[in-house]
Formats: sequence, C-alpha cells, structure tokens
Amino acid sequence: MTEPHPLLKVKDVTKSYFEDGKEFKILDLIRFELAEQDFVCVVGPSGSGKSTLLRILVGLEKPTSGEVLFEGQPIRADNPQVAMVFQSFALFPWLTVTQNVELGLEAQNVPLPARQARARKFIDAVGLTGFENAFPRELSGGMKQRVGIARALAIEPLLLCMDEPFSSLDPLTAQNLRDEILQLWSDPQLPPKAVLMVTHSIEEAVYLADRVIVLSSRPGRMVAELVIDLPRPRNRKEPEFYGWVDEIYSLIV
Amino acid sequence: MSNSGDDVGPPKRVTDFHSISKASVGQILGLVEAVDEAGGTADVATISSEVDMDIDRLGPILAAAEFLGLLEVEDGDVRMTDLSRKLLSASVRERKSIVRGIIDDLPVFRRVTEMARVAGRPLDRREIVDALAASVGSHQAEEVFKALVYWGRYVELVRYDSESELLSLRTPSK
Amino acid sequence: MRGRRRALRFVAGILVFAGIVAAIASPQAALKALQLPLFALFSTSRMVAAYLIGLVFAIAYGHTAATNRRAALIMLPILDVLQSIPILAFFPAALLFFVVTFQGSAIGIEFAVVFLIFTSMAWNMAFGVYESLTTIPQDLEAAGSSFGLTGWLRFRLLEFPAAIPKLVYNSILSWTNGWFFLVASEVFQVGSSKFARPGLGAFIADAGRNGDVASIAVGLGVLAAVVLALDFFVWRPLSVWSERFRMDTASGRELAKVPRYEPFRWMPRFPAVRRTIIARAHPATQAYHRASVRLDRAYASHPNVVRDVRVVDLGLFVIVLLLVVTTGLIGLGQLFLRPLPPEAVGLPWAALLSFSRLLLSYGIALGWTIPVAVVLGESERVSRYLTPALEIFASLPATALLPVILGFSLAVVGSTGGAAQLAAILIGLFSMQWYLLFNLVAGVRSIPQDLREAARSFGLRGRPYWRRLLLPAMTPSLLTGSITAWGAGWNALIVSEYIEYAQRPYTVTGLGSLINQAVLVTGDTEVLLLTILTMIVVVLAMNKLLWRPLLKRAAIRYRLEV
Ligand SMILES: Nc1ncnc2c1ncn2[C@@H]1O[C@H](COP(=O)(O)OP(=O)(O)O)[C@@H](O)[C@H]1O
Ligand SMILES: [Mg+2]
Repeated sequence: MTEPHPLLKVKDVTKSYFEDGKEFKILDLIRFELAEQDFVCVVGPSGSGKSTLLRILVGLEKPTSGEVLFEGQPIRADNPQVAMVFQSFALFPWLTVTQNVELGLEAQNVPLPARQARARKFIDAVGLTGFENAFPRELSGGMKQRVGIARALAIEPLLLCMDEPFSSLDPLTAQNLRDEILQLWSDPQLPPKAVLMVTHSIEEAVYLADRVIVLSSRPGRMVAELVIDLPRPRNRKEPEFYGWVDEIYSLIV
Repeated sequence: MSNSGDDVGPPKRVTDFHSISKASVGQILGLVEAVDEAGGTADVATISSEVDMDIDRLGPILAAAEFLGLLEVEDGDVRMTDLSRKLLSASVRERKSIVRGIIDDLPVFRRVTEMARVAGRPLDRREIVDALAASVGSHQAEEVFKALVYWGRYVELVRYDSESELLSLRTPSK
Repeated sequence: MRGRRRALRFVAGILVFAGIVAAIASPQAALKALQLPLFALFSTSRMVAAYLIGLVFAIAYGHTAATNRRAALIMLPILDVLQSIPILAFFPAALLFFVVTFQGSAIGIEFAVVFLIFTSMAWNMAFGVYESLTTIPQDLEAAGSSFGLTGWLRFRLLEFPAAIPKLVYNSILSWTNGWFFLVASEVFQVGSSKFARPGLGAFIADAGRNGDVASIAVGLGVLAAVVLALDFFVWRPLSVWSERFRMDTASGRELAKVPRYEPFRWMPRFPAVRRTIIARAHPATQAYHRASVRLDRAYASHPNVVRDVRVVDLGLFVIVLLLVVTTGLIGLGQLFLRPLPPEAVGLPWAALLSFSRLLLSYGIALGWTIPVAVVLGESERVSRYLTPALEIFASLPATALLPVILGFSLAVVGSTGGAAQLAAILIGLFSMQWYLLFNLVAGVRSIPQDLREAARSFGLRGRPYWRRLLLPAMTPSLLTGSITAWGAGWNALIVSEYIEYAQRPYTVTGLGSLINQAVLVTGDTEVLLLTILTMIVVVLAMNKLLWRPLLKRAAIRYRLEV
C-alpha cells in the first residue's frame, strides 16, 4: 500500500556545537540513502565527525538541521530495527556474555525461553559458544567485540551500525574479525539487511564495503560516494584493490 | 597421539602450553590469514611489516600457531600447513572443531580433563592450579590454568564459572 | 589462612576466659555487662535504619542530580554545603523539633537519633551516586539507549550497578561517621531535661559521667567488636564483591583522580565461603531472577511508581530543607533586628581559640601520620602487621573515647583547666588522624614502582627523596585527607570542649563550648544560633578559599600518570 521507502534516508544533515556563542560546524549537509543489501562504509580522517554522524543516524543525537528517516519515519534511539556496535565494545562489565547479548531482548520484554534461545543462536554464530557464562573481563579484545556483534544481531535488526568496530583491536585480530563479519554478512539467514560502518581506515573500507562515502576533515562534508565493484573475497594485494585505496586517499588529502 | 609416558617431554610440553596462553584465537587465525594472503609462505620480517606488528608482539602468536601445527617456521620463513589450509576454508563452527582436535590432544589438557572425569564432580580452581604447580612450578601454574580455561572454553570441552571458580566438562554442541 | 583462624580462635578463647574471671570477681558488673549485647543490638539497629534511609535518599538525590541538569544546578551546591558544615551543631535544634513533635515520647528521641545519624551518612553517598552516574562511559550509555533500556530496566541493569563501587566505598565511610554521631547522640541534654535511649553510646557516656573505668573499658570493647564484626562480615565481603562493577579502564574515562585507601584489606576475602555460597545459591539466584523479572513486569504496568518514590523522597527532603532554611532565616532576621547580645563580642575570640586547637591537633596528626604512612606504604611487611592494629584502633569513634581521653588528661596534667585543654586537643587529634593516615597510605602506595626505582637509581635518598618524590606524590591524598579530617575536627568541637566526667564539667573557651553552654545551661537560642553561624562561616570559608583551590592545583600538578 505504502510506496517503498529506502531503509535509511539521510536528508541534508548538519550538526554544529555552540560554545560561547560561537558556532563550530562538525557536519555539513550530509545526504545519502541506504537500501537493503547495502554494505556502506563512511571514511574520513579523525575528527571529521564520523562518530557524531553515526550517533545522529541512530537517533542518539539530534541534527542541528536536516532529518533522518528510517523506513520513512523519523529515527528514534530505541528503534529495535537498528542496532549499534561500538569501538570501545560498550559491554556491561557486570553482566555475563549471555546477559549482555540478551540486553536488547530484555528491553523488548521477549519471554525468557525465547530470549535464551535467541542469545544462544547468535553467541554460536559469532563463535562464542563455550564462553556463555564468562564476564567481559575474562575475554580477549576480539571476543569482546564478538559479544558486541552478537548483542547487536540478537535483536534481529534491519540495519546494523558500527563505529570503528575494529579500531581497538590489534591488526591480526581485526583482520580475522573482518573476515568473520563478511562470513556472517554473506549468510542470508542472518540479520541484518544492511550495514553502515564508520572507519578511518581506507583499506578497511575498500575491503568490506559495496559503497564508500568519503568525508572531508572538519567540517565533515561528503567528498565522494564510490561504488566498490571488486569481486569477493577481496585480496588486499591486488592492484585493483590498491587503485581504489589510492583514489580515496587522493580525495581526502 | 602423544603418550604421556614419554618422559623427555612433560616440562617442555607444559611450557609450550604456556606459550599458547600469550595468544588469542583471533590473533592466530589472523596471522594464518596474513600468511595465506602473502602467498602461503613468507619471511617473518615481511609478515611483521605487512600486519604492522613488531616481532615482540608477533613472536608469541607465531610460537602459538607453530605449536598448534598451523604454521611452520624455518630459517626465518613462515609456511602454511595442510591443517591451516583446511582451517581457512572452514566456517566458524568447523574451525572450532578442528582446533578442538588439536587442543584435546595436548597432554596438559588431557591431564586436567582426566582429573575432572575421574573426580566425577566439578573441580575447584585451586585443585587444578595445585596439580599444575607440581609439574610447571607455581609461577606458571596460574597462567597455564588461564590458558586452559580460555582454550577449553573456546573448543567447548570445558565449562568454567569464575564466580564459584569451578571447572567442569561439557560436550560440544556438534 | 589456617593460622589466622587459629589465632582468631585463640583470641576468642582468651576473651571468654577473661569474661568468666571478671564475672566471678564482680558479679554486679557482670550483670550490667549482660545488657550490653542488647545495647549493641539497639545501637546497630539505629545505624541500620539511618543507613537504609540514607541509601534510598542518596540514590534518589544522586540520580536526580545526575540526570536532570537544571535540578543539578541547585542540588549540587546544597549537597556541598550540607557535606561540609558541622552537622552536630544542629543536633539540639533537631532534637527539640522531634521531641516537641512527638510530645516527649521515646519515639521522638529515636527519630532524632536516627535523623542525626542519617545526616552524617547521606551526603557523601549521594555524591558517590552522582559521580558514578556522570562518569558512565559515553558508549555504555549509548549502548543502553540504543538497546532500549529505559526507566526501571535502565536503573537495574546500568545505573545501579555502575554506582555500586562508589556506594560501597562511601557506605564504609558513612558508617564510620555514623558511629561517631551515634555515640554522641544517644544521650543528650537540653536545658534541664536529659534525653537518653538505651544503647552502647549511652552506656559509655554514662560510665564516663560516673567515672566507672571498668564499664568504660567494657563498653569500648563491645563497641569495637561490633564495628569490627560488621567490617568483617559485611563491608569487607561487599567491597570485594563491588570490584566486579568497576568500569574497564580501557573503555572508560579515568575514574579516580586521587588515590583511594581500601580499608580492611588484611581481612580474608573468604574465597572458600564465597564459592560454597555461590555454588549452593542457585535457587536464590533463580529466585532473584524471577523476582527481578516480576519487578520489571510490575514496573511495566505501573511505570510511575519509581518516579513517585523519587518525587516523594525528594519532596520530603525539600520540605525539611525549606523548614530548616525558613526557620533559620526567621531566626536570623530576628537576630539581626535586635541588638547583638553581649556574648557576641566573644565569638571571634572563641572561634580563634577553637581553630587554634584544631590546628594544633592537625599539626600533631601530620607529624606522626606522614612518616608512618610512608613506612606503611613502602613496606609490605610492616603494613601486614601494623595495618590491622591501626584499623582496629581507628574503628573506635573519637566520641566514644571521650572518657578515656579525659581520664588520661587528668592523670597527665594536674590542673582542671589544663586537662580540659589537653583533652580537647586530643579528641581533635583522634577525630582527624585516621583520615590523614589512611589517605596518605593510599597516596604512597600509588607511586609507581618505576618512579621509585628511578629515584633510587639516581641516588635520591633521605631529604631529596622525600622532597622530590614522596611529598609531591602524597600531596593530592594529603589534601583530600585534610578536608575530611577538618570536617571531622569541626564536628568534634561540639563534644570536645565541654565534657562531663565523674559528675563535673570540663570546659575550655571555644565555639563548641559556647554551643553546649547555650543548650545545657543558659538556653539562650540567640547565642546558639550566632555560634553555629560563626562556625559555618569559618568552615565554608576554609573550604572555598583554602582546600578547594589547593586541591584543584594539586590535581593538575602532582597527578601521577601511570
Ligand atoms: N558534545 C560535543 N561538544 C563539542 N564538540 C564536540 C562534541 N562532540 C564531538 N565534538 C567535536 O566534533 C568533532 C568530531 O567528533 P567525532 O564525531 O568523534 O569525530 P570522528 O569520530 O570522526 O573522529 C571533534 O572535533 C569533536 O571535538
Ligand atoms: Mg570516532
């Protein structure tokens, strides 16, 4: 009945902070759309407002002007169709792996048996079976982020938002987790329908994304929107791969 | 495979088990992937600069991967093995069961699971650490125990509750 | 562990034996001593009641201040003032209020006592909750919001757990304060009427008034035993448990700027007991789980209950505060409309004398605590043996030591006046020194081993070692310790400058004795009010003009980056 909306529509979002009456513009006229099956990365140098943009997109912060529509409706922070993965993992230190993963389900009042079954499924999907009753402090960094991912997937969101999810990990763990994310992404049985990821690593963006949105440094403006049509699995040694990386580099510098 | 009566080994093997306490699953898999991307064989210096980790940090991971039979190191060259090739093409679940095969064969791991099986009840952390201390010294016992719990949990053969500090056995879910 | 248990058993055996011998030697005293467990129970119940009220208040207040920025603008300064003024000075007024309201019944006095203890417990806990909630890492908050944690669920899963470490830490402080006030408040005289409720504090005070040394000793022993037992069975396990609620420093902001002292570290962590309990507690955890689920559901159907509780709680607080403030203002208005009473001229002099005595106590306290703290902080071995003894000694509130200190002073100094002076200074010392000592120990312990070794390897020894490393590193904790110590010192004035011992009063000139004179003898509310006012002005001035600026500078200059 309703005309089809894009999953996420970002309409001319601008964000400024005001200090002592002076305006500090962080984001300037960001506009793009996200459809199902999109894996989009936003790249930009540190301080270009990527985290701020993501927080606006999931409704944690209000834009100074412009708006964000999720399936045609203004976005809300507690929207159960959107889930978030954090750079610092943001796990609750006093909850076990299972309890952390159940967090969103508990908030949605999912009955206990269903909740446990769902948590088990996603803990298994990220390879954490065996660590169900461990506390975050007992896990390595990579495993902590797996919990973060399982917690996000457990609410079966349409859109998964990730803010530099691999930046606090060592390079090896990060690479391993990137590949596992792609494995999960390629499984049509599993949520989400679309991924929006923010990163400062151009290589990472080219390695993962179908589409890359490039932000300039302060204020963050959209410099380019590129479709990465490299076949998967991608090899970071190939010249085509490096062609893309170099192109984005030249756009930012 | 290895039999625990073979007496050249125990202290050395235990020390080796100690070596996998310095690396996580993710790091070892990441390293194997990096070697694979470099063409299946490369010298350590190249890998080190590829993955942007100095030898200090890479060393323990390399040692752990070698100990698990996932990489071969010779004259500063790193090579993939059949096992690691199999591992890379496997899914998250299958990877676990491959690593399970390796871990389950380690004498120290065997000894502890055997202890639990014979006792027929959950084992206290203290009991296990004491038993380990007898062979590796109390200095390393804690670390070995930690590694044991970490890997045991990962391959789903061990259940550990850090609240009650009790360790028990579990059957992997397929 | 086993050795320690045997030692405990040995000590218990000696105590029982000594008790039996004493009972045979003096059956009358034994009979009186039999009441002591009951007294201990009464006193502890008052503490528990005050603590529970304080806890609910602290959570409501801290939570509101942390989540409502506009409310915080008013709430934080109020809390700041409440925390720094000597509350004991208000006790006579509060007591009168309750006694009048309840027409002299025992209930009224009980309320007054509990209220006083509450006022000594609540503020720092409220600050603790506020600090914890405002330092929750941004990402953790965002995770809570984006996964839909709101209202009760957010409180149960995020906010309350995040506040637990500071709540437990501050609860321990609050209980120390509470004992000090309990002992001071179980017996109180206003004019010619004496108000007393049975309890340990009243027992010790009575014994002191009658000069009954044996009873004083027994009373103190029981008090120490109760305090230590609570530490042993409640606070030590709780503080071990609270460790798990600490934020990962990797993902959070820096937590404490000034190093903290963790009391009772020498007490066992009870790993075996804890493990057995947890292993057996499965039904209990299940029950808890079911209960919390039911609470969640109850909350879902009555979403306003939590808000209502908070509104009622804070509403009561606001009403009480308004009452106090308006009566205060009216009193002040009347005060300044009339010509000042002649006694007012003596106020500055009294303030100066009180301050000088406290300064002397503070100096003595610094003199011994700095070197001892360095030894305790640097030597694991000395600390292992000395810390328990010191902490046991510190567990006795200075108010309970009044009779002992006065007896001691009389024995040392011949003249009555001299003894009163010495006693006032010693009580000041006893209320101040422990805060200094334990904060300083934490300061010394926070010096990284590297820094220490670097200093040694460059040959820093003796004076340069102190001047270049120890003293600067101790500065922040010295300042926090000093602030708390002076707070306690000002409160101690009320009890230290006017002591009744063996049926006669020992007084020195000062603000504290003016307050006591006004309450006990003259009943002159004008002087009372003026004295309290003077005291508050002095205390606030000292905090704002001296301690806060110093602390701010020290925090920047002497912070040890690890
Ligand atoms: N609450 C705030 N008030 C003022 N400035 C802010 C606030 N939050 C972020 N900023 C500023 O916005 C800029 C962009 O921040 P951020 O979105 O974190 O960038 P990125 O994630 O790309 O590194 C930074 O320079 C930061 O200082
Ligand atoms: Mg960022």
